[in-house]
Amino acid sequence: MPQSNPINTSYPLGFHEPEKYFFKSEKGLSEKVIENISWHKKEPEWMRKFRLDALKIFYSKTLPTWGGELGKINFNNIYYYIKPTNKKAVSWETLPEEIKRTYDRIGIPEAEKKYLGGVSAQYESEVVYKSIQKTLGKKGVIFLDMDSGLREYPELVKQYFGTLIPPHDNKFAALNSAAWSGGSFIYVPKGVRVELPLQAYFRINAANMGQFERTLIIADEGSFVHYVEGCTAPIYSTDSLHSAVVEIFVKKGARVRYTTIQNWSTNVYNLVTKRMRVEEDGVGEWIDGNLGSKLTMKYPSVYLMGKGARGEILSIAYAGPGQHQDAGGKAIHFAPYTTSKITSKSVSVGGGRTSYRGLLQVFQSAKGSKSKVVCDALLIDDASRSDTYPTMDIKQNNTQIEHEATVSKIGDEQLFYLMSRGLSKADAEAMIVNGFIEPIVKELPLEYAVELNRLIQLEMEGSVG
Amino acid sequence: MKTKNYKLRINNLKAEIGNREIIKGISLKISSGEIHAIMGPNGSGKSTFAQILMGNPAYASKSGEVEIGSKNILHLKPEERAREGLFLAFQNPLSIPGVSVANFLKTAYQSLHSPKTKDQRLKTNANPALSVWDFNEKLVKDADYLSLPREFLKRSVNEDFSGGEKKKLEMLQALVLKPKFAIFDEIDTGLDIDALKVVAQGIVRLQKEGAGLLIITHYSRLLKFVRPDFIHILMDGKIVKSGGSELAALLEKKGYAAIKSH
Repeated sequence: MPQSNPINTSYPLGFHEPEKYFFKSEKGLSEKVIENISWHKKEPEWMRKFRLDALKIFYSKTLPTWGGELGKINFNNIYYYIKPTNKKAVSWETLPEEIKRTYDRIGIPEAEKKYLGGVSAQYESEVVYKSIQKTLGKKGVIFLDMDSGLREYPELVKQYFGTLIPPHDNKFAALNSAAWSGGSFIYVPKGVRVELPLQAYFRINAANMGQFERTLIIADEGSFVHYVEGCTAPIYSTDSLHSAVVEIFVKKGARVRYTTIQNWSTNVYNLVTKRMRVEEDGVGEWIDGNLGSKLTMKYPSVYLMGKGARGEILSIAYAGPGQHQDAGGKAIHFAPYTTSKITSKSVSVGGGRTSYRGLLQVFQSAKGSKSKVVCDALLIDDASRSDTYPTMDIKQNNTQIEHEATVSKIGDEQLFYLMSRGLSKADAEAMIVNGFIEPIVKELPLEYAVELNRLIQLEMEGSVG
Repeated sequence: MKTKNYKLRINNLKAEIGNREIIKGISLKISSGEIHAIMGPNGSGKSTFAQILMGNPAYASKSGEVEIGSKNILHLKPEERAREGLFLAFQNPLSIPGVSVANFLKTAYQSLHSPKTKDQRLKTNANPALSVWDFNEKLVKDADYLSLPREFLKRSVNEDFSGGEKKKLEMLQALVLKPKFAIFDEIDTGLDIDALKVVAQGIVRLQKEGAGLLIITHYSRLLKFVRPDFIHILMDGKIVKSGGSELAALLEKKGYAAIKSH
């Protein structure tokens, strides 16, 4: 492993002398724990203060009473900061069988499997990452993990960090603001188009897998970037809480697409706040796929601040036995002639539960705006459940709003038709499910689309028995 | 292309829904390369018969034997019957939104002819697996044969299809999937004369390729283009009369009521 790895430098002391600097915060939250995180990262004073203020806000806020069942989270039974080297403590042998089996069946390479299992903090893609860094660097694009971003570009980070999703936005945003670690920092200069999708995968390091990732993307005027995070293989985590914050600034005429596919192990509470601020004639797009986890609450938002801004949210949720996916999107129109589109597709199987939760808000200032919300739910069996909670708040009469919602169930005759062509029941169900989510899957990078289809196949085989 | 000789033997097949018997003991023997037609009035049990042969789980209560070769398939799952070489062209094919005709047929072909496990490969007499390239080539050829445009293969299965397009897709499936025995349940309804000719042409090709065929129909219209070797009249869940193609002419003239007493 080359010592010049740029990622290592984000843990300036700890990484090279693991014994001496081995650090695992004590369990639970306290000012001391937060101070320690900041101290270990050698952060500027303003960030230390930001964290401590956020902690106070976290304490002062109550849990949301809507969404999913959150009462069982024990905030005192969580390690809020584990130095990345310590993650190697997980061994391949101790990974749950089902996770290993799924890796095998998806056919991902050994090294990647270990990485996903939290076994190995490093991965061969460092080489790829470096060459990408070089190309991007020439154009002035910054693509770093958040810790390095803060260290190398403190002024730029300070200008934006926590301004779109302030700590007091919600209890979990406050928690993230206090305990954040890892995530991505991207800046794309004026007029620069990044043609290849930037993948967190290339920037792989332990910090990326943190429980409290923090991502900040700034796309300057007229620029374009597509950021892809996550992967379809299940991510094993011994931590029971994942709470990320993603802030994206889309300047005038810029376009940002953010694609996430996440498949947490089924013990994880996945509570994420994601928001894009889109200025005049800018385009902000979320593609958000949620599989796995025990409970996901995630509603990517677009704040349409400038005239003619556009926002699009595509959301897929898949809930298997014992899972609840409470997902959707929010579009808030502040400026005139803004447009938004939210498309949600959810699949519930084996007693799984999906909810679409959406907000569409059009202010008086947003005349001539348009919005379309489409949410379709597919139920595989009678034990599964789907609900829709759309909220609309329209203050401007000169708008065009459409809302469609459907719930369908896989029919016995539909299954029989496919089975009569030689497909097993599980294959038939997977084909119907894949067809159902196809309008969103076709927007994914090809390798993700292929993996997602395969994963659904495996999930169906598992749940049908 | 001559293939091996198989027999589909149906012996004293009975089925009931609720406590009502709908199929009351049907026996029939179809050999490779033969065309049989089953004709009968509405409600005589024709479609139920077809559904039971293919294994629709909605018809759970049944007895008798349905054999391909010497294997009784009556209690097999639909996909297992399909792997034994049985095919049913549905009267009302179902739509599968988001799944293209090409993708659907590729998956079905692989399920039938490239079984996943070695065990399954040994059990079935599947056609050799085709590469994706070869398969696509074959698919396009068969689509051309039925005068279906290339665009058709990219559309979602049966979604927003006209009646005629649905029936043509059923025929395309039969041609591509190469069953040993194919049942056509009212393939002729809702077709204009050109489409009817195309479908008939498909049936004749399947026969030439060695498949045994069972055509279920209400009218004798299709039988002007396809000459069955045997015609069976189904009434009230039973075959009341069997004969050659002369039966169709008789039906045309006198109707079903006359047949029974004839």
